[in-house]
Amino acid sequence: MSDEATTDEEKGIFGGLFVNKHVEYIKSLDKRHDEIEYWMTEHLRISGIYWGLVALHLLGRENELDRDKIIKYVKSCQNTDGGFGGHTGHDSHLLYTMSAIQILVMYNVLDQINGDKIIAFVKSLQDESGEVSGDCWGEKDTRFAFISVAILSFFHAVDQFNMDGVIEYVRRSMNYDGGFGSQPGGESHSAQVYTCLAALAIAGRLDIVDRDRLSGWLAERQLKSGGLNGRPQKLEDACYSWWVLSSLKILGRVHWVDRQRLCAFILSAQDTEDGGIADRPGDIADVYHTCFGICGLSLAGFDKYPLDEIDPVYCMPVRIAERAGLRSWMNNVPKTWK
Amino acid sequence: MCETGEKCDSGNDNVPMSEQDTWKDVAPISQDDGANTICPIAYTDEYREMMGYLRAVMSKCEVSQRALDLTSRVIVVNPGHYTVWVYRKKLVEELGSNIENELDWVTEISEKHHKNYQLWHYREALVSRLLDPKAVSEMTEEQLVVHPVIRRELFFTSSAIESDSKNFHAWSYRQWLVRTYGVWEQELGFIDTMINEDVRNNSAWNQRYFVLMGDGRGRPTKDAGSPMEGSLADSEIDYATDMIKLAPNNESPWTYIVGLLVRHAPAKLYTVLLPKLKELAADGSEYAAAMKTTPFYWSALVDIYEQQAKDLPDQADDLLAQASEVCDVLATDHDPMRNKYWEFRKDQLVPNI
Repeated sequence: MSDEATTDEEKGIFGGLFVNKHVEYIKSLDKRHDEIEYWMTEHLRISGIYWGLVALHLLGRENELDRDKIIKYVKSCQNTDGGFGGHTGHDSHLLYTMSAIQILVMYNVLDQINGDKIIAFVKSLQDESGEVSGDCWGEKDTRFAFISVAILSFFHAVDQFNMDGVIEYVRRSMNYDGGFGSQPGGESHSAQVYTCLAALAIAGRLDIVDRDRLSGWLAERQLKSGGLNGRPQKLEDACYSWWVLSSLKILGRVHWVDRQRLCAFILSAQDTEDGGIADRPGDIADVYHTCFGICGLSLAGFDKYPLDEIDPVYCMPVRIAERAGLRSWMNNVPKTWK
Repeated sequence: MCETGEKCDSGNDNVPMSEQDTWKDVAPISQDDGANTICPIAYTDEYREMMGYLRAVMSKCEVSQRALDLTSRVIVVNPGHYTVWVYRKKLVEELGSNIENELDWVTEISEKHHKNYQLWHYREALVSRLLDPKAVSEMTEEQLVVHPVIRRELFFTSSAIESDSKNFHAWSYRQWLVRTYGVWEQELGFIDTMINEDVRNNSAWNQRYFVLMGDGRGRPTKDAGSPMEGSLADSEIDYATDMIKLAPNNESPWTYIVGLLVRHAPAKLYTVLLPKLKELAADGSEYAAAMKTTPFYWSALVDIYEQQAKDLPDQADDLLAQASEVCDVLATDHDPMRNKYWEFRKDQLVPNI
């Protein structure tokens, strides 16, 4: 066959989305042992695998990673306190416990680990007032409020937690612009907005949100390039395609941004030679932005390739969330929002 | 520690650790790759060696100066390695290290890694140990701001914010400092300086709300919905509109003043703010053109008319009609990218019955 006869689709390019390149890029990440970055990111390796696996799922290519090897690796990251570290031999942290569980849920093997120990680990990180730390280091943040609630929900153990304390902490982190910060008083930031909304969604307390003001603020995050930023006067970045759009999805207001222009921005941040997506055009791609860029395309309704639908609370495919019994948050969305 | 000028041969990057006397009794532990990789380790020799020794001392929970020195080296290269911070904290406590020196070391690390989460939290812990907030709770703010520990932290955070004016971590830390030691009044001066340097600095606008209205912890605070003093509302309207004049197409003061008034003084939206905005946008005003081309001006009008219609039912029809026209202008002329949003806002403009 001559070169001229090769169509974009045969090359794995669909409406400008370089599917095959991204799959090859993600598969190559575990083999880049000659690059110092590989070793410098060791402490978050498990999250890297999670981001790669989500991206592959959305692309319908999840079988291209070695399932058994990954499951064995994830299990090797669990510590005696029940939590998971970012890599074998690293301390337990909520961030990596979340990634570990999300991977195990995607592979449908959550029953292979001891849930009671994980629940105990999560509960140990909440103080009397309901605020949650990420680990024994003690840093508190609305990210950890969300993750703790999400992890417990995987085990249907939310009722074992001081949920009123969590909700109160999130409520106090709500600002005059309708957004949420990393803690009470902190500036609104769209990634923190996502964590707060997702926590409230699981808790069934989205009613405390100023839906219209927050949705308006989130829509304001779109810049002329079509890309979204995280807060006022900051640059657009492909990862906010996820943080902003997942929030708008929970709020039922995805259509308030210009989705076509957003898709065009995300596609412009692709590395069309070596695969992967960067924060913005011309920068170096990484697996985090690759994952959240593709999540953004899915939420924005990119229709040139059959991307799997993503759950805006749990950040994994809807069909997997359904299988794991994690879609009940949708029943708790205020009736007036529907 | 090497970075603070103390003698420390483990910090000598020219001599491999395996050839240094300090480390001759330790056998480095190579990377446990779990089940993740089948390829041989190939990271740079220096990093590999350092991590090997780190794993070795951590595996036996060694408490020693050389272990502390080693954590310095690892953190300088890779501050995101959160496990090593926990080990370092334990070492500092058990060795009884000088906290002032430790704080100096954190300051040095901050210059290079100001977006690292761990070091900011660690700083809080160290400062709390140096100066117990309970021990100074009786002091006045004038006394507190000249206390060496607080003065240094105010200076440190203002320098960090000056070099990266929207640094999320630095502003959070500053909030902790202001709240923990109760140095609220000086903060308004700092915020003024930051807003004067860059009127678009949204972090500074957020800090203004934090100082004036509190955050629900520590200071007498105003929850959303609780009224604020009328004179404060008036002076904030003056302040925000002065800043709007400097750069009308700047989201921050618009969001600030509308958000503040909606929460704490809704009637001021139409009794005080509206006439001021109309004056700025009136024919003949030097700001007229700029005001009329920024979506924030029109967007504020929708918020204001909506509130006014809610409070004054007998004028509601007229006010909602005006708001509706403004939504059309936004959807078609000034903010077409968000036309779906403006269409929604328009649909919401119905009188409260």
